Amino acid sequence: MSERILKVKGLEKKYQSKTVVYPIDFQLNSGEILALCGGNGAGKSTILKMIAGIVEPSQGNITIDGITWDKNRRDYARKIGYMPDHFSLDASLSVRELLNYYAQLKKVPKEETAGILDRVGLTDVQDEPFDSLSKGMRQRFMFAQAMLGSPQLLILDEPTNGLDPYWMKSFVEIIQELKKENQSIIFSTHQLDIAESAADQVIFLHEGQVLESGELDRLKQKYNHMSLQQMFSRLFFRA
Amino acid sequence: MDALTIMKNEIKLGFRNPWAYSFLGIFTLLSLSMLIIQSGPVSDLNQYTKTTGTLMNLILYLLPLMTLLLGALSITSEKEDGRWHLLSTYPLSSFSFIIGKYAGMFIVLTAIISFGFGLSGLIGSFLGQGLSLETLLWIFVFSMMLILLFLGLAVWIGAASKNRWQALTISVGVWFLLVLAWPILLIAVLSLFPYASIQPTLEILVFFNPAELVRIFVTLYLGGGHIFGPAYYEWIEWFHQPFGVLFLVAVSMLWVLGSVGLTIWKWERKRRHV
Repeated sequence: MSERILKVKGLEKKYQSKTVVYPIDFQLNSGEILALCGGNGAGKSTILKMIAGIVEPSQGNITIDGITWDKNRRDYARKIGYMPDHFSLDASLSVRELLNYYAQLKKVPKEETAGILDRVGLTDVQDEPFDSLSKGMRQRFMFAQAMLGSPQLLILDEPTNGLDPYWMKSFVEIIQELKKENQSIIFSTHQLDIAESAADQVIFLHEGQVLESGELDRLKQKYNHMSLQQMFSRLFFRA
Repeated sequence: MDALTIMKNEIKLGFRNPWAYSFLGIFTLLSLSMLIIQSGPVSDLNQYTKTTGTLMNLILYLLPLMTLLLGALSITSEKEDGRWHLLSTYPLSSFSFIIGKYAGMFIVLTAIISFGFGLSGLIGSFLGQGLSLETLLWIFVFSMMLILLFLGLAVWIGAASKNRWQALTISVGVWFLLVLAWPILLIAVLSLFPYASIQPTLEILVFFNPAELVRIFVTLYLGGGHIFGPAYYEWIEWFHQPFGVLFLVAVSMLWVLGSVGLTIWKWERKRRHV
């Protein structure tokens, strides 16, 4: 029986009087993949940042493997790997130097970094400075640093932005492999074909509110085997 | 240990930062210029002279500004570029992060001044016209103390600023206030005080400005206490006693611990307020 890794209950975020995420509940078991889908300003990144411990929720609570951020922040952090959407890393460091730096902070042996770089196809450019990488390569690097230490939960914010079709396909393959290794993944995307090919659960968001959520198979049945794109269009125009 | 990892990375980044090399060039040029100035007929190069006083003043103008800018911008850019957001998802405390950054920047800045002084000291001894080793060591201590104290202020400015522009503006403002405007402000403010309270107030205010604190500390130990005039004879004597030294060291430590402690508190408080 799979273990419950992530529990999100009544999670809400307000900035002054503006609500950017309305109360939301969901759960994720080990070895499951959840996709947060929606357009710009839907609240996907804010939800992921709250789970990653970067943004403080206004209401509600998040537990990862039974631990909350407030109670034991160090253990909480050890259970997650986060890939941000926007970032700018130290340009003068090489890909290998940067990954080793993050590996040291996660107490991951240096030997493991070579395997991760290989997994995301950055071995050939490991001695290049980070700022010489293309957008897609930088995305793959960020994915690599999130995978360091094989965390129980991977939190990926728009992981396929800037990836070419080959690496989009590879991304889906990698997260399917991680799923087999019993790691759980939550990612945001507006590329619904990626969500359709990778996710077990889907949450559709619009302006901070859940339009629809559930297991992909059940949603498919409910909406007469529509694609997620068709489903989203129907839900979006109804909203 | 996380602070050590952050420190090592900071050192690596510091030595790859073009700013560090600009400062290294300026600082070395300054040290060499002083060597040329003193190659004229100077009576005593062993203790406090006009040359050492001028060198100290020049260091006092340049080093705090350099430290404030490098320190504050390094901390602010961590937030502005999103690097801290990523690190805050790691099992890393604000304490380790700030201490590591502080120690790393201190080492980089110390390396810059060591190179400048080392080169001018070497050339000077080769030409037979350098400052005495004791004077050079005191000026080195003076520079290190300026770095220690102003780096504390710099990291605090970096943590309190929202972006690079704000950090730059505040850094220049703090430098202007503590290094350039301080004597004028003191004259203006103290002229409003009753005559009898001016001297004690002035003696106390020294501890509120790290630049003045370090300058007076080193001037005294270089034997230049006479420049403060006969009215401050007792004060100078007191500082020459062992307790006086301990007191100056304790105040300097309080400055460093206070500013770095405040930075850690500020950083932690803003940790999840994005």
